[in-house]
Amino acid sequence: MSGTDERIRQVGLVQSFVARPELGSVFGLAIIVITFMIMTSISGTFSAMWTNPIGIQAWVELAAFVGILAIGASLLMIAGEFDLSIGANIALAGHSFALLLIFGVPVVPAILLTFVELAFLGFIIGVIVVRTGLPSFIVTLGFWFASRGFAVFLSQTLLNQSRLSVKPQLKAPAGGGEDPTIIDNLFAFDKGFGLPFDAEVYYFAILVIMVALLLQKSRFGNWIYAAGGDPTAARAVGVPVNRVKISLFMLSACLACLLGVLTVMTSGASDPKAGDFRELHAIAAAVIGGCALTGGYGSVIGAVLGAFIFAIASRGINFVPFIDNNMFRVMLGLLILGAAFLNQFLRNRVLKG
Amino acid sequence: MAQQTTTPTIQLKGVSKFFGNIIALKDVSFEAHKGQVTALLGDNGAGKSTLIKVLSGVHIPDEGDILIDGIPTTFKTPRDAAVSGIGTVYQDLALQPLMSVTRNFFLGREISKGVFLDMNRMNEITRTEMAKLGIDVADPTQPIGTMSGGQRQTLAIARAIYFGAKVLILDEPTSALGQKQQLEVLRTVNQVREMNEIAIIFITHNDMHARLIGDRYTFLNRGRVLADGDRDEIDMDNLRALMAGGAELAELESEFQNTST
Repeated sequence: MSGTDERIRQVGLVQSFVARPELGSVFGLAIIVITFMIMTSISGTFSAMWTNPIGIQAWVELAAFVGILAIGASLLMIAGEFDLSIGANIALAGHSFALLLIFGVPVVPAILLTFVELAFLGFIIGVIVVRTGLPSFIVTLGFWFASRGFAVFLSQTLLNQSRLSVKPQLKAPAGGGEDPTIIDNLFAFDKGFGLPFDAEVYYFAILVIMVALLLQKSRFGNWIYAAGGDPTAARAVGVPVNRVKISLFMLSACLACLLGVLTVMTSGASDPKAGDFRELHAIAAAVIGGCALTGGYGSVIGAVLGAFIFAIASRGINFVPFIDNNMFRVMLGLLILGAAFLNQFLRNRVLKG
Repeated sequence: MAQQTTTPTIQLKGVSKFFGNIIALKDVSFEAHKGQVTALLGDNGAGKSTLIKVLSGVHIPDEGDILIDGIPTTFKTPRDAAVSGIGTVYQDLALQPLMSVTRNFFLGREISKGVFLDMNRMNEITRTEMAKLGIDVADPTQPIGTMSGGQRQTLAIARAIYFGAKVLILDEPTSALGQKQQLEVLRTVNQVREMNEIAIIFITHNDMHARLIGDRYTFLNRGRVLADGDRDEIDMDNLRALMAGGAELAELESEFQNTST
């Protein structure tokens, strides 16, 4: 029986390439890179942005920061959920970590406790979302206010400060040895491996590989797509949809925690404004990267490319003096819209075959 | 075709199900044999859906017994029913349109090699199992959004069989499809019948399809069995009348004739 032959012939190489969710962001990245290469050439800053280590550092570190959040944001979006609280959770994590240090907890337990706190927070958010059936947009909007508010409230009440400096605590030999300690090596190193980057860049690289493999090659990854695509159908074949979603909210909160801790470790202080607006940057990266807001479709690699697009546009504008800084926002807005259009078009192509 | 002397693969004896004061099923007896298609027929509200849900473990009957291969069994959850070999293919098929054929086939029951999914093996099994039902899937990594409705139906059936269904419940498998695809599905059902291992329960509104594919017929009306029997025991010409609730249609007919004369 060959009832499918006429369909199969249409499915060629081009088709399977078009079917990749990150296709749109590959184009987007190429356009952004070329655009900024041309513009920096015109203004004579090409080498400052593209070959000078400090120039490269500027946009790579931003891409890593936004990219780490975008990893969580894209997984959640594929699972059909949304987390607006990640930016605020960076501040909550930083403040929690700094307070623990100030009250005499050594560095390692303080890091662990902060991760436990944020994982628990993610768990609570996840449980509220799956139990109440409220849109995660609303639930996490609540935490967008509450997390940062609670962080600043704590530091104000306990220490009468909103910005917490922990330089002395971090300089004290946490492990009892000489500077740098193993902790410094794990969390606060910069310019490691002969590259001009801070710690988050290396964490970013490791996380991207791990999560991309998780999503494409593991059964949990399969469940993430199913949970967002059609949760009822997923439950009917035994996928624990609620557990998948709760774990992703926990992951999202833990990624914010990683950034909060890293920022405190490298800068020696926790700022109440840390991570402000980063949730929107991460969501923008995920959308540019081809994730469907409705769930069931997307990729981590796409979100990572989206983070690079965001970072190059955001930092690149400083290298092009003849363009107004505010134009960056206009550009970014158009970029998000364009990417969303393109991705929708590509997604429909996938369904039509 | 297997004869009536064999033990039914699944049998209901005097099953009743009540929802408050509503009698959804009353004293329903029903059986399905392997290698046969048992057509379950009846109008809306006749109790077909409740019966399917009892068979697939969604509802626990208030009275009566469920026998699998002659052994009394109770299903407390759909999972119990699945373990006992009841495979239910619902109308919406429980498929993910944007996911690949293979990923849909194995969703919730993926095969891993170490930490990672064994995609090669799963692709191979998907292709083989689909081929058994007459569908040649050239590229099982394509999203099923690209497949026709009939092919998706086949995918859901192949999946149920591969994961151990002895009883295959097909809930109106042809109702949402175009004419050509309906025939595709009937062909698939016939392929399953010819395996001679699986009892098929075929729920339909379509008397033509029932006539084409059925070996046994059970008619439900208002929660009771109106008639049942083998192909040769049922008055095939009267199929449509029985589906509509028998007597009522006859009454209507005479009523119309009376008014027109």
